[in-house]
Amino acid sequence: MKRFYVVLGIVAVVGAAVVAVALRGGTPVIEPVDLGDITDQELVDLAQGVVYGDPDAPLTIMEFADYQCPSCGYFALSVKPFVDTDYIETGQAKLVFHDFPLDQHPHAFLAARAARCAGDQDRYFEYHDEVFRTQMEWTGLANPAAHFKDLAGDIELDAGAFGRCLDSDMHADVVTANRRLGERLGVGGTPAIFVHDGQALTFVPGFEFAHVQQAMEAAGSGN
Amino acid sequence: MTDRSPSAESGEQALEDPSAPAKNRMAVAVLTLGGIFLAFYLVANNLGWVPRVPCGTGDCGIVQSSKYAWVGPIPVSAIGLGGYLALFVLSLLGLQESMAGSRLIALLLFGGALAGVLYSGYLTYLEAAVIKAWCRYCVASAVLITIVFAATIPEVKRIRGVGAG
Repeated sequence: MKRFYVVLGIVAVVGAAVVAVALRGGTPVIEPVDLGDITDQELVDLAQGVVYGDPDAPLTIMEFADYQCPSCGYFALSVKPFVDTDYIETGQAKLVFHDFPLDQHPHAFLAARAARCAGDQDRYFEYHDEVFRTQMEWTGLANPAAHFKDLAGDIELDAGAFGRCLDSDMHADVVTANRRLGERLGVGGTPAIFVHDGQALTFVPGFEFAHVQQAMEAAGSGN
Repeated sequence: MTDRSPSAESGEQALEDPSAPAKNRMAVAVLTLGGIFLAFYLVANNLGWVPRVPCGTGDCGIVQSSKYAWVGPIPVSAIGLGGYLALFVLSLLGLQESMAGSRLIALLLFGGALAGVLYSGYLTYLEAAVIKAWCRYCVASAVLITIVFAATIPEVKRIRGVGAG
């Protein structure tokens, strides 16, 4: 019996040590962080959107979106392709994506950070599409971090770098600043679309392609 | 006159040596203790205490985030943890001199391990045929409970009242 208890003790110690090491992994930041007292200019500088298309395009379509918002998924997957064809690929406009994780969506902040982590590997919009495409798969999970990492693997990102980024506070300040910028612009729901012609910023009252078309025509688009 | 042990003298219902520690129960205790740590890690993953189960082969993320990873609000891994804990406690109880001959302990050990291996088989089927993804930790648990079940087979003799070493 003595030998048995020695073996049991060894298994207990080794098992506890392995689990402790495994649990000691990084803790991903999943909600907005305190930005402290920053000026308006510092907020604008920090709240960088992600540019899609020609950075020098004359018109800018600004989108404030929440990855857990179904309507944002609709815009990303069903409207944006037409925007791409008519305005982005023709060089008339660029799209600038801003994060606006809503309070009622507990995974939206982490999803926004995950996309930014993919952006570190220059694959932001590829990952953005995958997150929206699989929205129904992860939105009900207790913790979608594993899903987000799997998506990174699916598009062959550097899994180690992506994991270290997600399991940290990286981009939490930028995502937080994006949301605060949206709030300053009066964003109350998502997706919120604006068109900027270099001088005026115009809110688009809807997120169907027809709404974008009307706003683009008003801003002087050739289409 | 043939030299017979006291248990044999008391008839077929008694065990040959009920006070002797059963080696199969020692094996069950050691194996289920390992299972406890394994299942606890998967529970921690389900509950978000760890971001992800690292998986070199297969895809733990898909399995762990599938709808089959939960039974209502309870993670399947928590059911496994409960099962391993129960078998661990039962095996330790069964090693106590006073309970070595208990048919109830034998029945619970064998029945619990049988239930565990059947449920684990069902989960393995789900991984193979429905989810179409493998989590190596889940596979390891399936192998472990199968070995635990094999180790409880001598309990059948105790349930039937025949001695088992």
